[in-house]
Amino acid sequence: MTATAKPYSKSAKTHDAHHEDEHDMKQYLMYDPKPRGEMNRMVMESMTTTSWKFWVVFAILGVLVATCFVYAWGYLIAEGLGVAGVNRPSYWGIFLVNTVFWIGISHAGTFISAILRVFKAEFRRPFTRAAELMTTFGLIQAGASIFMHLGRVWLSYWLLPIPNQRMLWPNFHSPLMWDLLAITTYILSSTIYLFMPLIPDLAMARDRSTGWRKTFFKILALGFRGTEGEWRHLTTAMNIFAFAIIPVMFSVHTIVSWDFAMAMRPGWSSSVFGPYFVLGALHSGMGAVAIVLFIMRLTMKHMDYFIRKEHFDALGKLMLIVTFAYTYFFFNDYILQWYGGDKWTDALLHWLEEGPMSWMFYQLILFNLVIPAFTLWNKKIRQTPWLLALIGFIINIGMYWERYLIVPVMLTINRAPFTWKLYQPNIEIFLTIGTFATFLFFYMLASRLIPLIPVWEVEEGQMTHSLRKVGKAELPTISEFE
Amino acid sequence: MKIDLNLVGAKGAIAEAAEGKWGMTIDQDVCTGCQACVAACAMENNLSFVGEEDAGYGRTQHWIRIERFWEGEYPEIKATPNQPMLCQQCGHAPCEPVCPVFATPHSDAEQLNLQVYNRCVGTRYCANNCPYQVRSFNWRDYHIDPFHANMVDGKLVFALHNQFNPDVTVRRRGVMEKCTFCIQRIHKAQDTAKAEGRDVFDGEFTTACAQACPADAITFGRVDHHESLVSQLSHHERGVKHLEELNTLPRVTYLKGA
Amino acid sequence: MSEQVSRRDFLKLAGLGAATTAVLTGCGPASRYVTREPYQQMPEYNLVGHSTYYATTCRECAAACGIVVRTYQGRAIKVEGNANHPLNLGKTCARGQTSLQGLYNPDRVTDPIKRSVRGDVASETMNWDDALQVVTDALKNHKPSEIAFLLGTSADHLFDLVTDLANSTGVNAPVRFGALSMFEARATLSKAAENLFGQAGLPWFDIANAQAVFSFGANFLETWISPVSYTRGFSNLRKAEGLKPRGQFVQFESRMSATGARADEWVPLRPGTEALVALAIGKLVAEHHGMEVPKIFSGVDPAEVAEQADIELEALEHIAKMFAEAKSIAVPGGAALGQSNGLAVAEAVLALNVLADNIGKAGGVYLSPLAPTETEYQRPASIQEMKALIEKMNAGEIKVLFVHGGNPVFELPLALNIRGALGNVEQVISFATFPDETALESDYVFPDHHFLEGWGYQRVATGVNLPVLSGAQPVVSPLYNTRSTVDVLLTASQAAFGNALPFKDEVEFLHSKVIALMGEAGGSFSATDEESFMASFQQYGGWWKKSNGTTSASDSNVLDKTANAEVAEFAGEGEFFLVPFVSPTLGEAGANKPWLQELADSTTTVMWNTWVEMNPETAHHQGIHNDDLIKIISEAGEIEVPVYLYPAIRPDTIAIPFGQGHIAYGRYATTTDENGNVLQRGANPADLLSIHFNEAGDLAFAGMKVRIEKTGRTKPLSRLESRIGVYNEGMEGH
Repeated sequence: MTATAKPYSKSAKTHDAHHEDEHDMKQYLMYDPKPRGEMNRMVMESMTTTSWKFWVVFAILGVLVATCFVYAWGYLIAEGLGVAGVNRPSYWGIFLVNTVFWIGISHAGTFISAILRVFKAEFRRPFTRAAELMTTFGLIQAGASIFMHLGRVWLSYWLLPIPNQRMLWPNFHSPLMWDLLAITTYILSSTIYLFMPLIPDLAMARDRSTGWRKTFFKILALGFRGTEGEWRHLTTAMNIFAFAIIPVMFSVHTIVSWDFAMAMRPGWSSSVFGPYFVLGALHSGMGAVAIVLFIMRLTMKHMDYFIRKEHFDALGKLMLIVTFAYTYFFFNDYILQWYGGDKWTDALLHWLEEGPMSWMFYQLILFNLVIPAFTLWNKKIRQTPWLLALIGFIINIGMYWERYLIVPVMLTINRAPFTWKLYQPNIEIFLTIGTFATFLFFYMLASRLIPLIPVWEVEEGQMTHSLRKVGKAELPTISEFE
Repeated sequence: MKIDLNLVGAKGAIAEAAEGKWGMTIDQDVCTGCQACVAACAMENNLSFVGEEDAGYGRTQHWIRIERFWEGEYPEIKATPNQPMLCQQCGHAPCEPVCPVFATPHSDAEQLNLQVYNRCVGTRYCANNCPYQVRSFNWRDYHIDPFHANMVDGKLVFALHNQFNPDVTVRRRGVMEKCTFCIQRIHKAQDTAKAEGRDVFDGEFTTACAQACPADAITFGRVDHHESLVSQLSHHERGVKHLEELNTLPRVTYLKGA
Repeated sequence: MSEQVSRRDFLKLAGLGAATTAVLTGCGPASRYVTREPYQQMPEYNLVGHSTYYATTCRECAAACGIVVRTYQGRAIKVEGNANHPLNLGKTCARGQTSLQGLYNPDRVTDPIKRSVRGDVASETMNWDDALQVVTDALKNHKPSEIAFLLGTSADHLFDLVTDLANSTGVNAPVRFGALSMFEARATLSKAAENLFGQAGLPWFDIANAQAVFSFGANFLETWISPVSYTRGFSNLRKAEGLKPRGQFVQFESRMSATGARADEWVPLRPGTEALVALAIGKLVAEHHGMEVPKIFSGVDPAEVAEQADIELEALEHIAKMFAEAKSIAVPGGAALGQSNGLAVAEAVLALNVLADNIGKAGGVYLSPLAPTETEYQRPASIQEMKALIEKMNAGEIKVLFVHGGNPVFELPLALNIRGALGNVEQVISFATFPDETALESDYVFPDHHFLEGWGYQRVATGVNLPVLSGAQPVVSPLYNTRSTVDVLLTASQAAFGNALPFKDEVEFLHSKVIALMGEAGGSFSATDEESFMASFQQYGGWWKKSNGTTSASDSNVLDKTANAEVAEFAGEGEFFLVPFVSPTLGEAGANKPWLQELADSTTTVMWNTWVEMNPETAHHQGIHNDDLIKIISEAGEIEVPVYLYPAIRPDTIAIPFGQGHIAYGRYATTTDENGNVLQRGANPADLLSIHFNEAGDLAFAGMKVRIEKTGRTKPLSRLESRIGVYNEGMEGH
């Protein structure tokens, strides 16, 4: 372990300011270490301390899952899609809106834990796990939404290339096949990527729990003991995965966008859809992370130690950057389509601007572009958790609108004006509530079963960060593992 | 010329060279919009009716529909020529490549877009991608809604089921369907001709819509036989193909203007 | 039936031979020894066989198109046109196609029923022996003059039978009626033809061979008289072939009908001015030819007419020029005849044809040939004649009324109050196949077979220049415990009157009528023995002469008459002219066929409901929007109908289709609320009609003014079209 001392950036300050800064250093998690035992205890406590409020919410969610997800889906399967709002020409409805939305949410996890890990962004450390859980649970909702969308879901295994007597293979020309493969790959890799960094924490939890939890953790920890060799293997695997999952992440949302972009439809057939969707996914994902962090900090014990203003601040900056990138692609998409002057695209744009759903279009601009761009400049706002969570919420509404506009609203306008009809959701509303409830249900369940804070990552970070006394001043230093 | 359109690379250039086999012309100048074709199609192909509410919500199961628009304002108003819209049996069909399970493949033998009902899983991608919007989806089990049944000796009896054409599958919920150019009639005519050791001759059979059309606006037959009526009509100077700019190679020619 | 035999036994019995089967089929219920089940439940040993095709005659309207029905293992699968049949040459309309949904309609009357309280759906099932006794008693226990028959416009063989019965026993001669004949104003047409040709009958307009067609309200592409044949004529008019140019088509009407939508020139004249416009055109044409203006046209001033009709004089002159320069034909019909001066309209329009010198010439007007076996044109009753019958009923002069083939309670104007009149008839016996409103008001319903299960013939009244007797035979054996009305009447009349009608059964009766043609020369087929002749008659779907049977001998001096050059009178108060028209898809009795309900109306694309068409400008001024439920009030009644903003209707006119508004007639013709109560589907414009006649005794159904009231409620209409794509709704700025 070589220590390379780096001067902390905020050095040119007055004495008072310097003093403040020195005082401030403790506000950063990395420079506010606690003994390992203490920290492990805190994480264990956050997992095992459950108030009655938790159970009330959990029970409500459970009821929602049973009614709005399980029952509603069963009813949908039994009755057919007639109970949904899909029609000609909006053959696709909210189910695919939800799919795209949840895949978007899922992007935040990978982005935060893989990209930020690769780029060694230190602020990521306490919330990689929370974000990765969003990835996995979000993808489950995305997958469920696709299956809800299918007319004959009981035959959905035909989408898989299972060898069969009649040599009937799926059609690899179809973007839906690419989609299926991409999402499957993504679910598998993100689950593994969630699990690997979890192993040391599970081992820690195993060593600190009794009863059924001990058995539970024992099984999941795979006998991890923390030897040098185990760490080396784990780190190597994680590094490989961190690099490998990045292209998967980019490709999966690009491929989701191809479901639309490859189709021969005004508004959809756009070459910029790939990056536009990736950025849209990050936009909603970052917002969702802000919400989740806010809720964790609000409700779980000891979380104000792990999740601090600095994290909201960093997340806010990230959101701001994503906002600008998203804005760029948004205008790139719409302006090019408008400039193209195609008759049908023109009709579509008028439909968005003047049609009954135009409010959604304007809200999209307001929520996704204007509000984040004008608020996230402000450090105070960024550092106020509830405000950042609120902005994240607004962005997510905007992003939901965006997907809603792209799927059923754009589907209204096609090349056969005799068929243009507006889509009105029906049972989809319940199933949408159902997917959200299921997501939260899983998340709450996970918060009781696995450590939401990657303790070892925080500890590792704290080991590499230290304040060194140079003269009177304490200088923050960061060392790197070789 | 036999072209396997499911081969990689066959979609564009080669397909364009294909002439197609079965084709249709529709003379919009004489179409009166009487809906006889729609009714005939429904009776021939076991189409389900969906009831008032679903019909108004864009869920009709018409395989052929008659479109009309308006031009001008009262009193100088005109209804545009009726435009019967049905599956164009594209040579280069946008619906085909997007189906993940090959439920809508291209028939090599008949050069038609097939719809394999029992393979369809209901992604509805084909319908989205169809620029003519002529695919209809079975949103519900319309045929076996107990509303249509009578209770006889404790059993639901669907009297209307007696009318079903046994040559055509009855579709259930979750399945996409569309005009097939009455492929059951094509096969029957071909079988008869083969048994008699000859080719199917022009006008030997026709589709249900063409057969019913009181104005004789619809002509069906072999577009690749240059002496056939449909081939001659499809090369008529009034002939227009819809959305040809999309390179879908439609097999239906509309005779526009007077 | 008690004597049901399994399919396996039936196969054993099949050795009895085809002849036996055919006769048994003709005898009605006795032939029902095969149990029917949907083919999905076919026994395994059944081989997929070949289809069998039967020629018969469509009875969805009275036009008598020949059809061939594909049957498959005892079930009727598909209706095709009979390619040999001269009337429709293998074509069918939507109503003919969906007649199978009548045959297999789940709401058919399956057994004879007795109803203790009229108007109550509750009823009890009877057996046919008792039913026959009821009919016998009804015939026997009343004076012949107290017995009346009210028949529909189709099933001519039944009409002939009842006519024979009337002739031999003195019962009242049958009265025929159908809503279509009311809206076609057949009495007016027939009267006008009489004035022109010296003989009553339906004129036949050879539009196929004309160069320009000028239609005054005739909706000949929809339901008018013989729509399939006229559509073929229109198609041929439009097709340019060789030297023949594409024919022009001009339509005069106040509301664009599906027919008018196909016109090159659509002239929205003010209702009631059709006669004047026709006369003005005649005058202008005569002037264009530089000839002396015939007396009939001389009384009008084109400029004044243009103003009265609310059209430009230039437009009138332009049309007159078109008329003068082409081989023209003028066709009167539809709402133009259903006005106080309907006969004057018909005569003015026919005079135009005389002026165009096309009478009896290709592309001109003929008197339709009389059908074989027919000695004079038997037109359906006009409303004036119906009113006379109703008055007799009210006066108690009719004690027994037999109703077959029509639904007068639904079809007649409410103002005639036939329901009340039926109340004054001791015994009402209906032979309805479906539980319609009239069957509901009857004491007994003794269901006839559906026409696809029964025998018969139908005379082609018009539409082709050949005399045609169209034959009908069962294509499937009867599904239910129904019995042919002819058989019922034969049995009952023999029991009541002795051998008034000396026939064993319906088949023998048909035989006696049809076999008379065997000796006639120039027929479509000939045979040396009676069996072959009858077999061929069924096989070909009828018998027709191969030579032109039209007549046009006319020394009429129509042009020298003085025309009644006045605007029609309109009854009632209100700012709107009311134009009721027959729904092009439903016709008069299609409402119980679900696929007809789901066909988009040709002009509005509305399905499953009634609408009122209103000019968007007018509606805008009144603050009325699409789907607003408005109340339409005439001097006779009121109905509530949702609005369709129709861009092709005069601002001072509203139009309502006839065909919906049933309160009975099965599940598809009505609606049900959440409690399962039967409710009216749509509304019936016949409820608005007040009783005024034109000179020929036809109802002036289009001679009314009405007012409207907003109700503040809405009823969304189901349309096939997109309101966004067709009317730019939601994209107004685009």
